[in-house]
Amino acid sequence: MSDSTTPTGDGPANQNPPDGTTVGEGPTPTSSVDDTLVGKEKKRRTRRWGIPAVLAAVVVVVAVVVTVVVVNNNTAPQAAAVDTDATLTVGLVLEPTSLDIRTQSGAALEQALIGNVYEGLVARSVDGSGDALPALATAWKVSDDSLSYTFTIASGVTFSNGTAVTAKTAAESIQSVIDNQYLGSEYLGSVASVEATSDTELVITLTTPYPDLLWALGGRAGLVLDTSATNDLKTTAIGTGPFLLDSWKQGDSLTLTRNDGYWGEKAKVAKVVLRYITDTNAAANALKAGDIDALAPIDATLAKTVDTAAFSLTKGLASDKFVLAFNNAKSPLSDIRVRQAIRYAIDHAAIVTARGDADALLGGPIPEGDPGYEDLTGLYPHDVAKAKSLLAEAGYADGLTLTLTVPSFYGDVLPNLLTSQLAEVGITLKTDSVEFATWLQDVYTNKDFELSLVDHAESHDFGSWANPDYYFGFDNAEVQSLFAQSQVAKTEEESAKLLAQAAKIVSQEAAADWLINFRTVTAVRNGVNGFPVNEINSRLDLGSVSVDKAAS
Amino acid sequence: MALYVLRRLGLFAVGLFITSIIVFVVLRVLPGDVAQVIGGIKATPEQVADIRVRYGLDQPLIVQYFDWFGGLLHGDLGRSLITNSPIQNELAEKLAVTLPLCVLGIVVAVVIGIPLGVYAALRHDTRFGQLVGYIAQAAAAVPVLWTGLLLILLVGKGVGLVSILPSQGFPLDGWAEPGKAIAALILPALTIGIVEGAALLRFTRSAVLDAMGQDYIRTAMSRGLTHTQAVLQHGVPNASLSVLSVIGLQIASLIGGTVVIETLFALPGLGSKLVTDVGNRDLISVQGTIVVLTALVLFIGLAIDIAHRVIDPRQRRVTS
Repeated sequence: MSDSTTPTGDGPANQNPPDGTTVGEGPTPTSSVDDTLVGKEKKRRTRRWGIPAVLAAVVVVVAVVVTVVVVNNNTAPQAAAVDTDATLTVGLVLEPTSLDIRTQSGAALEQALIGNVYEGLVARSVDGSGDALPALATAWKVSDDSLSYTFTIASGVTFSNGTAVTAKTAAESIQSVIDNQYLGSEYLGSVASVEATSDTELVITLTTPYPDLLWALGGRAGLVLDTSATNDLKTTAIGTGPFLLDSWKQGDSLTLTRNDGYWGEKAKVAKVVLRYITDTNAAANALKAGDIDALAPIDATLAKTVDTAAFSLTKGLASDKFVLAFNNAKSPLSDIRVRQAIRYAIDHAAIVTARGDADALLGGPIPEGDPGYEDLTGLYPHDVAKAKSLLAEAGYADGLTLTLTVPSFYGDVLPNLLTSQLAEVGITLKTDSVEFATWLQDVYTNKDFELSLVDHAESHDFGSWANPDYYFGFDNAEVQSLFAQSQVAKTEEESAKLLAQAAKIVSQEAAADWLINFRTVTAVRNGVNGFPVNEINSRLDLGSVSVDKAAS
Repeated sequence: MALYVLRRLGLFAVGLFITSIIVFVVLRVLPGDVAQVIGGIKATPEQVADIRVRYGLDQPLIVQYFDWFGGLLHGDLGRSLITNSPIQNELAEKLAVTLPLCVLGIVVAVVIGIPLGVYAALRHDTRFGQLVGYIAQAAAAVPVLWTGLLLILLVGKGVGLVSILPSQGFPLDGWAEPGKAIAALILPALTIGIVEGAALLRFTRSAVLDAMGQDYIRTAMSRGLTHTQAVLQHGVPNASLSVLSVIGLQIASLIGGTVVIETLFALPGLGSKLVTDVGNRDLISVQGTIVVLTALVLFIGLAIDIAHRVIDPRQRRVTS
């Protein structure tokens, strides 16, 4: 699994073990020969020693098993000393498909490498403020006309292959993103030039103001890679971060080791193992068995079974929006009354409850923490009567059948809830569970769908609603104009205000329904300190995580 | 015998060739492609087209096929479309988990299924013999997933009633840590063993019961053997032929069908790899994996056939 849509999506859905898979036992041959075929004259005298013997065996086995059990009382006194030789093992859900940060999409890849192995000019803060933090650029200045950004590049930085990082290498790296249309280049459309004016000074000049530039540079677009290196990005990585990529065991784990030549504050653990465990139960078992130090995220329902004396649980912000997309361009969902009816029919609080009570309600396209967020959950309260009358108005008083196309890894919790909630207003929902690749072809590329459900994990992705060619098929001139203005606004505040206006229209127009805004629950073993809390699906800075000596 | 083996090997090659074509064609019919998967839900159609060119997916199918098949002839399974790493390396890594798992599972199945099956047949008219039959029927009907979950709840480390056996994961260093590697495979192998063993038990029981009704048992008894002796000495060897075939089928279906077990126990094996690769549309990788699996299954079939001929004197006389 691969994409930015998936990283967290299957958390709660996988409450059910993957019983959808069909390959299981295979065609186990079972005999159909009936006992009675055997001649009755073969009846033999019965021996009665069997039952006692087996019972005795069972007793012996149980006794042996019980005596083997070692009860671990983790009562060792906690020492505050940090174990700098420690290995930190982190359980994660989704593995990157490939490690190519330039072409491979998906939050899982950013989560593993950005901030740990690769660093950018700036970093994104994860506290919900949206601020840019210094990274390879230790400071920056924005000109009064917002058209020129001057960055001061840290000195004495080298890539892990020994090449020195200067303003020139940084400029070349960003330029290569634009020239090759690498992922992230879509945010650099207004960049006129990227120039190194000295060894430590880099200037980015824009054609129009772009309030999202620092945010964009905190993502893939601003990563500084050695453009002269010839390593295969798909399986190796040369960066400037606090960790080096040690090995990638596909389908299992990714290992990072401390970069002892790191220019900033060195990592506090010697080694990090990122273990990818797709089955949520197996992941929770790994945590309980002590095989992993942290699980990010843990399924919200399973989190309730974790011993809070040994683990701490935190709930973090995430930009994941579970979007019930409507095909706005095609009947019957081109009729706003049908779309509104669906929004009124959905009981969002019930969805949050069914998913383990961690997630937040979301009333529009912009999640908390993104510019332009405002609470729009009041626009479409759960109202079955209103939904029914809207459907009747639209000419569907006798009911309506719709198909929901959903990638299979989201499981069936959400589709089942939606089916029963929509049934109450007279909509028969058919679920078509497909592979993600099929979804990409049918829904994303060919726009052949009615309803679709996908987790849009990216932050700052409001632009999809201003793009009539996107699979949502939402075409609203006012939204497009507001969004266009927001992209050239001089200040972030101004931009956010315009985005908020546009987002409200998108929500009012019922362009989609936003089922929930994901919240990640992270479980961390006692003795592990400084583990990230927010936005862990796309950023997992492990450089500042430490492991206490006594606990390791 | 030599001629027979040669002929079978010829069939083996033809089978593989046909498989390679079928696999290649069928995979191309799947909707979606690797370029879309790499591009994800933000890529523009231009970016996807660009990826397609960069990964050589714009070549005509026939060229793609012969590129791949030419490699196969040299024993080269090709490189993953997504990671560009050689497929045989990845396969070897995954088989190092899946093959031992299957072998251990089958060993458990045989140890459980055959003796109990023979016992249940011999004692089919006692209450206990029938009980064994019923339990086997129930165990074979339970999905492998539930058997696994039950075992984890009983003896899984950290979660079970008695916390002794690891219930997920495989050591990072693999078989360089043999103790840990074996420990990691015990629960999954037991799960496979119980489910497959129950099926094998029922089959063995029926086969032996069937043999018990044959005239040669009566003949043997008339020579002075007890019924049990007659069954064990004459009935069981006869029944063993069909039981052997069933074991072969079980191994074959297991090798490609371990994905549920691997997911449940978080093992980095072949089943999970295959599912991931299909999902990613890494078709070269899928092709390579399936061809190797097919070769393994054909090989097991061959081995079972040869074993039959060794065990059964009648077959040796009939041909060549």
